[in-house]
Amino acid sequence: MASRRRMLLKVIILGDSGVGKTSLMNQYVNRKFSNQYKATIGADFLTKEVQFEDRLFTLQIWDTAGQERFQSLGVAFYRGADCCVLVYDVNVMKSFDNLNNWREEFLIQASPSDPENFPFVVLGNKIDVDGGNSRVVSEKKAKAWCASKGNIPYFETSAKEGFNVDDAFQCIAKNALKNEPEEEIYLPDTIDVAGGGRQQRSTGCEC
Amino acid sequence: MTSETSPSVSGDEASDPKPSPEDQLASLALSETDGPASGSPRENNRHNEIESAEEEVQTNSAAPGLAVVENSGEAVRRGRIGGVLWARTNSEPEADGPESPSSSGYAGERGSSSASSAGSGIYEIAEVRDDEVVDGVSDSQAAWVPGKRHVDEDDASISWRKRKKHYFILSNSGKPIYSRHGDEHKLAGFSATLQAIISFVENGGDRVKLVRAGKHQVVFLVKGPIYLVCISCTEEPYESLRMQLELIYGQMLLILTKSVNRCFEKNPKFDMTPLLGGTDVVFSSLIHSFSWNPATFLHAYTCLPLAYATRQAAGAILQDVADSGVLFAILMCKHKVISLVGAQKASLHPDDILLLSNFVMASESFRTSESFSPICLPRYNPMAFLYAYVHYFDIDTYLMLLTTSSEAFYHLKDCRIRIEMVLLKSSVLSEIQRSMLDGGMRVEELPLDPLPRSGSFSPHLGQHTLPTDSPDGFRELYGGIGGPAGLWHFIYRSIFLDQYVSSEFSAPISSPRQQKRLYRAYQKLYASMHERGIGPHKTQFRRDENYVLLCWVTQDFELYAAFDPLADKALAIKTCNRVCQWVKDVENEIFLLGASPFSW
Repeated sequence: MASRRRMLLKVIILGDSGVGKTSLMNQYVNRKFSNQYKATIGADFLTKEVQFEDRLFTLQIWDTAGQERFQSLGVAFYRGADCCVLVYDVNVMKSFDNLNNWREEFLIQASPSDPENFPFVVLGNKIDVDGGNSRVVSEKKAKAWCASKGNIPYFETSAKEGFNVDDAFQCIAKNALKNEPEEEIYLPDTIDVAGGGRQQRSTGCEC
Repeated sequence: MTSETSPSVSGDEASDPKPSPEDQLASLALSETDGPASGSPRENNRHNEIESAEEEVQTNSAAPGLAVVENSGEAVRRGRIGGVLWARTNSEPEADGPESPSSSGYAGERGSSSASSAGSGIYEIAEVRDDEVVDGVSDSQAAWVPGKRHVDEDDASISWRKRKKHYFILSNSGKPIYSRHGDEHKLAGFSATLQAIISFVENGGDRVKLVRAGKHQVVFLVKGPIYLVCISCTEEPYESLRMQLELIYGQMLLILTKSVNRCFEKNPKFDMTPLLGGTDVVFSSLIHSFSWNPATFLHAYTCLPLAYATRQAAGAILQDVADSGVLFAILMCKHKVISLVGAQKASLHPDDILLLSNFVMASESFRTSESFSPICLPRYNPMAFLYAYVHYFDIDTYLMLLTTSSEAFYHLKDCRIRIEMVLLKSSVLSEIQRSMLDGGMRVEELPLDPLPRSGSFSPHLGQHTLPTDSPDGFRELYGGIGGPAGLWHFIYRSIFLDQYVSSEFSAPISSPRQQKRLYRAYQKLYASMHERGIGPHKTQFRRDENYVLLCWVTQDFELYAAFDPLADKALAIKTCNRVCQWVKDVENEIFLLGASPFSW
């Protein structure tokens, strides 16, 4: 059964362009923030080790580009994801409205075995902007949406100030652990010579 | 399909004005007059004489690589494999700026930061220098240290980036499974990059096979849900690197079978690494053999030289055992076969022998006690397990009995005891020891006179040592180094037997570094001779500052020979003919004949 071995979690970050996906990653992994916006091309890949309940996790973070023109990359990127992080900007209504699209698109493309219970996390980013005065999506509204989608954990974050970022990722590890499949015993077939004909002739044979 | 070296490869259709068939026949009996053979009528119609009609090409040391682009448009040529690749399809001309701290490109900036990758630059540089010595001089069979090295490295380490050859196995979701250097988990970001590249190209209905980035080649191999990648700056041909990835995949199948595919079908998140736990050393030993074991590119096995009767005795008892329900019985000494026998209709591919013996030799636990382990022979049946009983008779000699029954341990143990008794009684084991000490064919012992072919005495291996005062003109000419006519080394591969024989290394190919270089030169020669599309070729003569390399491929055999770079061409050709004759003369001792399962 699940031993103490290290686990690798593939985490996909999705959301509209400019909501701060890359900034969140940078804050989380490198403890750095830059005000300068630089669009991600395709995807960036980061790794971060986290500890949760005495277990060591390696998060393999796929920081994807938000622009629509990259969406064709979906299947290639989403396959085998352990967790999907949906990010929106609390100051931009459209980015919140689009969460539904991102979620559905992910479920279609990644086609996880149990879509109802696939672990998502929602992050409402940029709560620091203008002291919160330019905010257009309330926490209540966001939480209601999360509840309607099967109680997705919700965090309000500030990549700039590093607020709540660690907690959010801790939660990702926790969720993935919950979702860990039962390990099966690996039992391949054995060759049945008597059963006839399943053998393959070796190609190097000159007979 | 371009071959930059095509002029150096001359096949049937030699590029010069074609001599008539009669002329060719004439040239078969080498026109140089210093051989006793010339002039004598050639009633023996063996095609064992090499043609001297091929073109000689002087290549400098920076010989251009062989054609690497597979089919049109399938190779992606980009300088970097970071985010830049995406820019190709998207009009945005933005490249990764150095200020981006996150892209983990191979040639890119210090990227994927992980909490523990903090290593002081000074330490890393010192380590690299240290390791370069290891890589250059003693990274060979002799000084090879088993197991994984440099586990503390990741793609942000300078030392990691400087390593000459990387091999990766990953899943199609980008999860790392194996990396030759560095810690798999720390390389998760790098692994994701590789998957993204492969999947991206795959999404477009295409396949990426090779990316060239300056001196580096990135070779990709997709096997269902398993991706294999090699990154190398060794200038080995693409075909060779791809074959190495095939062997690594085969080694993985040998341990797990192809049933792993089912795990990925059920669960794309599947993490394979626990299933491969403890097998790092098997992979690193296989990868090491890519730089010294000709079996890895010849797809043939080699035998320990033994007297015919001795090998027969070993084969007889193995056959006896095989008749009692053992699928394969294989007796080996290191990587050399002593004898092998298969149950009726079962045949063993040389690659399976290579992978199985590598698995057994690399796993320390087989040495300490008799073992019973599930294994899969990927060329025999990649889907299912066999069971291998393994027992070491001495430090180098081991027996492998393969069966389909998981309950056969005690039966196989009895078989082993019977075999051991016979081998001891007929002193096969001591003969093996002696052969180990004596070694195999030496170029210095190449018989001088090829004439007494049909003569009554058949020369035996190891009995050719000429008295030092013999009139050995060649030796005087070449200062006592190597064999006649400047012959330094050869490999002879019998196509019919799927076996090869390689001469012992001797001066001047004595250091591991020189041996590795020669090995790489052979490998390149092999690849150029077997190039798809324009191959196979028949002969090649190539001279550079290191060697004269001569390759000769017929329906029956392939000969690879290395000479002094100043060697005379006609003499070299003549010498190759003599090597072939010599191999024929001693084939009873250097090859496993008759009893091999290949003859069914």
